[in-house]
Amino acid sequence: MIVVTQNRKKCIGCNYCVELAHNYWRMSRKDGKSVLLNAVEKRDMYSVRLDDDAFEANEAAAKACPVRIIQVKKIN
Amino acid sequence: MAPAGNFESMMAAIQGGADSVYFGIEQLNMRARATMNFTLEDLGEIARICNQHGVKSYITLNTILYDHDLSLMRRIVDEAASQGISAIIASDQAAIGYARSKGMPVHISTQVNISNIETIKFYALFADVMVLARELSMIQMREITQTIEREKITGPSGELVRIEVFAHGALCMAISGKCYLSLHTHNSSANRGVCIQNCRRQYEVKDRDEGHEFHIENEYIMSPKDLNTLPFLDQLLDTGIDVLKVEGRGRAPEYVKAVTQAYRQGIDSVLEGTFTPAKVDGWMSEVEKVYNRGFWGGYYLGKKLGEWSDTYGSKATTKKVYLGKSLHYFPRVHVGEFKMESHKLNKGDKLLITGPVTGVLEFTADEIRVDDQPVDTIEQGVSFSLKVPDKVRPSDKLYKIVDA
Repeated sequence: MIVVTQNRKKCIGCNYCVELAHNYWRMSRKDGKSVLLNAVEKRDMYSVRLDDDAFEANEAAAKACPVRIIQVKKIN
Repeated sequence: MAPAGNFESMMAAIQGGADSVYFGIEQLNMRARATMNFTLEDLGEIARICNQHGVKSYITLNTILYDHDLSLMRRIVDEAASQGISAIIASDQAAIGYARSKGMPVHISTQVNISNIETIKFYALFADVMVLARELSMIQMREITQTIEREKITGPSGELVRIEVFAHGALCMAISGKCYLSLHTHNSSANRGVCIQNCRRQYEVKDRDEGHEFHIENEYIMSPKDLNTLPFLDQLLDTGIDVLKVEGRGRAPEYVKAVTQAYRQGIDSVLEGTFTPAKVDGWMSEVEKVYNRGFWGGYYLGKKLGEWSDTYGSKATTKKVYLGKSLHYFPRVHVGEFKMESHKLNKGDKLLITGPVTGVLEFTADEIRVDDQPVDTIEQGVSFSLKVPDKVRPSDKLYKIVDA
């Protein structure tokens, strides 16, 4: 399993995560920031547990994010 | 027009004598990365402060816009209109068109790079104020303002189109807003407000045949010095432009105050006919004290491209050292109580206090007391009282100003 986390407040809406990990991210048409699908919010941090096969795309999104608000962690 | 990256800088701009301030809301502005951007909820407070001081308020809404940004863009424009913000500074046609359709005044941002009279005519359908490209010369500016008068080019208000130019602050090596350097190396688009300013670094040239590497004459060849028009402010105003803009929403409040004040005094002396080289020297030494990469007259004097900075970061002649926070203010005796959190304070030190309501106070430590007894020195950890020139508020920050 992996955990993907987003510090959503700081998102500038550049769209990279949606391009690189389209199965897991969408742009919100409401506030222009990206949405981590099925994520749960806790103190402004959004996170979701995903299968290992989601690692590569989300890691690419995390690396491309210009404001470095995406984290991908492997858990057991 | 002075930059306001936060409430401190907004007050500093007002204290420095600005006629108007500009600021970003949420992420759709050219300083999206700034730790403190105003939010939609701040708009009422901003409008209230500006109205109270007779200062106009402008929102920068000037990134490129994607479909997913349109709803937020509309909300910012609607909210700005209902809160009484003076105008929107926009570059994307979506924002320009929407603001116009709502009757919200629009300024055309420098991001549009307006460089000729036909473009002015085009945008006159939408806007009464336009910021010219920073890369024009004063001869070109004058040609544009004269043609506006001659051909009576008017904006939606029916008045002649007014022209705004940058007077002071950072310049790009690219035509403003047309740079992909930061996007290329760090996925971080300048046109979405997240320029990482890698142009400011030092670069090497590498010989690909044999691998020899050269520094380039110790110059930062992609980092222009800062624009400073004080030495020829009379000529700049004489081109017929209406508004001078100071760059720097990422700058500290004391920067905003010092630069705004210098240009306020400069403009007033040009208008009074008392503009002299001696006065320019005085203003120059004031703006040299705060953040700068060295100065040049930009492209306005029609010089060859580029005077490059020879340092990384600032050449400011002074710097601020954080001392502590304000705890309390005694209005009758104009004394503030402070807690010394770091470094040391001596009687006679030059001091700076900044705060969201206080703005910027600069003064000398003439009278410092501990337990009501006058002292000459305050060490770290001590609570003390200090005579201050104006009201201070709890949590205002106290600094000393030292030579850099």
